[in-house]
Amino acid sequence: MKFLINPNRFIKFSDLVFKPLIYLSAIFLTIGIVFAFFLSPNDYQQGATVRIMYIHVPSAWIAVLTFLIMTLYSIIGLAFKINFSFIINSAIAPIGAIFTLICIVTGSLWGKPMWGTWWVWDARLTSVAILFLLYLIIIFLKNSITNINVSEKITAVLIIVGSINLPIIKFSVDWWNTLHQPASISKLSSPSIDPSMLRPLVIMTIALMLLAIVIGIIRIKAEILKRKLR
Amino acid sequence: MSSFNSILGVFLRESKIHYRSFFNILSIFLFFILSIIIFVFAVGSNKELFNQIGVGIIWTIILLSNTLSIKKFFQNDFDDNSLIIIHMSGLSYEIIALVKMLTIWMFLQAPFFIVLPIAFLLLEMQFDNLKIVYLSFLIGSVIITCISAISGSMNLLNKKNFSIGGLIIMIFSIPVIIFGVNIVNVSNNIEIIKAQINILLGIMFFFLAISPWASGLCIKISLQNK
Repeated sequence: MKFLINPNRFIKFSDLVFKPLIYLSAIFLTIGIVFAFFLSPNDYQQGATVRIMYIHVPSAWIAVLTFLIMTLYSIIGLAFKINFSFIINSAIAPIGAIFTLICIVTGSLWGKPMWGTWWVWDARLTSVAILFLLYLIIIFLKNSITNINVSEKITAVLIIVGSINLPIIKFSVDWWNTLHQPASISKLSSPSIDPSMLRPLVIMTIALMLLAIVIGIIRIKAEILKRKLR
Repeated sequence: MSSFNSILGVFLRESKIHYRSFFNILSIFLFFILSIIIFVFAVGSNKELFNQIGVGIIWTIILLSNTLSIKKFFQNDFDDNSLIIIHMSGLSYEIIALVKMLTIWMFLQAPFFIVLPIAFLLLEMQFDNLKIVYLSFLIGSVIITCISAISGSMNLLNKKNFSIGGLIIMIFSIPVIIFGVNIVNVSNNIEIIKAQINILLGIMFFFLAISPWASGLCIKISLQNK
């Protein structure tokens, strides 16, 4: 597992898995799109708009997961002085930001026909919007300090402080009365979603996660090379 | 005992600096009053409307005036290396940050208690609510001071982007705004007020715990790479 904290090992490991990952993500994405568009039923209330879920939910998960990974790497990097973790942070922050944006945009496209509004100020939507702003502030802060040794560490501190938002996002649907539904899929109970819809959702989740990992590998490698050039 | 003396020394020094830059502080409160006057001009003098949204206006402008004072936290001491000298007298950066937060609270937040009734007067709001606004501001101001300390220490070496410090303050004080303003809107129900106060206190203790660490770490990082 040393490739997670060592840049050279990471490059070796990523060279090994990069091509299979690309093929896998392409295959899963194709299957997932076919499933999502043709092989899954319409919802009896929502009609065809339910298909937005297959991109909305995975991107939300990836958005939160990316921030969680960044938090863990910030803690590791500050505690054990591992510089590679800051490289990962600066490489994957834009990915998280983009997936949060996808989540918000698809959510609001879904909300218009279902809730009758593009946007409501309920807890889940607001906390995800704050997550998006946090991503932007993290990227801005990193770019606004010229000295890279300072900027990456200070950004790590900001990420750790900002990670307070993650449990708020997770539990917002339980703590407040929100328009957004509570989680249908949890670890402790069986999912309250029909298998015919769960299948494309799982496939799309795997596909998008693989896609995010592929983009992440490309960005991390580019970041490593950029540091080597300096 | 010597560390207590040096803490007291830092505290007195900070107080003296704030006392001498009195007009600097005054201008922040002038900003507050002027913003409220401009708000009244922009919306029009409407007593019922202000009774509904007045507390929200006041809280928002308090927040905006606090973004003006980020540079007062550590920047001057960082530029003339006083932070290192204070650190050499045996105080850790976390303690320095705490003492600075205390003085900033005393000189930049506590005067809002005097200015708040003026804002109430200008917005023609009911003075019954003043007590609850005082209570929410007492807790909320501590939180905002903690967040300002974090933001100020993060931007010590930031020469390019002046607004990012304000952005950091604003994004972390969203819960303060939500719960601080909400207290007044539910002011007829004592149970809900208690719940909101408890949540605000929780946020306050969280930030009191985390902000000395975060600002101390940021100061250390910035000093190492100055």
